[in-house]
Amino acid sequence: MEENQLVERSKQGDEEAFGVLVKKYKTKVFNLAYSFTRDRETADDLAQEVFIKVYYALENFKFKSGFGTWLYRIAVNHINDHLRKHAKERHVSLDALGREPSQQENEIQKKEKVQQTADRKKLLYQALRSLPEKHQVILSLRDIQGHSYEEIAGILKLSAGTVDSRLHRARKMLRKKIAPFLSLEGENHEM
Amino acid sequence: MKCKRAETFLSRSLDGLLAGEEKTALEKHLEGCSSCKKKRDEYVFIAETLGKKDFPEINPYFWERLQPRLKERKKYTFWSEWKQWSLRAVQFSIIAVFALALGLALFLPQPTDALSQTGDLLLGNNPPLPETVTLLDAETGENKSMQLIFMAMEEKPDLRRYFP
Repeated sequence: MEENQLVERSKQGDEEAFGVLVKKYKTKVFNLAYSFTRDRETADDLAQEVFIKVYYALENFKFKSGFGTWLYRIAVNHINDHLRKHAKERHVSLDALGREPSQQENEIQKKEKVQQTADRKKLLYQALRSLPEKHQVILSLRDIQGHSYEEIAGILKLSAGTVDSRLHRARKMLRKKIAPFLSLEGENHEM
Repeated sequence: MKCKRAETFLSRSLDGLLAGEEKTALEKHLEGCSSCKKKRDEYVFIAETLGKKDFPEINPYFWERLQPRLKERKKYTFWSEWKQWSLRAVQFSIIAVFALALGLALFLPQPTDALSQTGDLLLGNNPPLPETVTLLDAETGENKSMQLIFMAMEEKPDLRRYFP
């Protein structure tokens, strides 16, 4: 059965049809939530809440965009709301990151620590979470989820030009945050 | 090429959006700019790290766990909507009662009190001294002759006949 038919049947209250849609999109929604929260249980709970929201908002879906795009829009907004509510908790890690290692702690010790891949990765995600919401969202959609510019433009209701400029700004901000903690000399990367 | 422009190109190159002249110009700039080379490495590190699909497995029985929540929400939605509706109705009734009371207080005609003596003189169409009316109305012969004398006194001098 085609996706639009499933959506139409779900709109009429067919839970079985909605179940098929859930099975198709659950991993994508979960991954999106996980990329923001980095916590499996929270991501799972958020994904469930997104599908509940979607189920009860189906009557407002007018097929103006693809179902996936619409679903992603709801997911992004819901996750954003969650992040806003838990902004205080996020600020704790942000403060720790904002401190230059050379100011208070032994720089060499710190550098040795962050050179380990796991720590770098952790730092990168901490830096990502400290960015403004709109920049987190765009980086998550593009660099983590791998959506195309057109898909992102559809999900966030932005022009392709805005997606391009916002993405560039977000990457620049993230690079600036993470740069003092990185030591990439001697590492070669293909462009 | 300036470093600022090079950084924009670096970001675009991560998405494979850089080609031709722009790509050549960026490569040329990177050859002579160690600062931008460092930035490139940082960008590549970010893209590679974020791009790694290290997502954990979704918890099992996702749909099975979701189904009862949908029903629960349905039940909750009905009651919460009813509650919300009744709350709004109560609020609306209170506001309506207040508005009605205010309207009545402001726009209902007030009962008029009996006029005071001054009010009666000013607003009522009565002569101030009723006893004078009887005097004026009594046109006696004496009054008439007096009126003629007064009229003669008020006569204008230039209208008099000239006697040389």
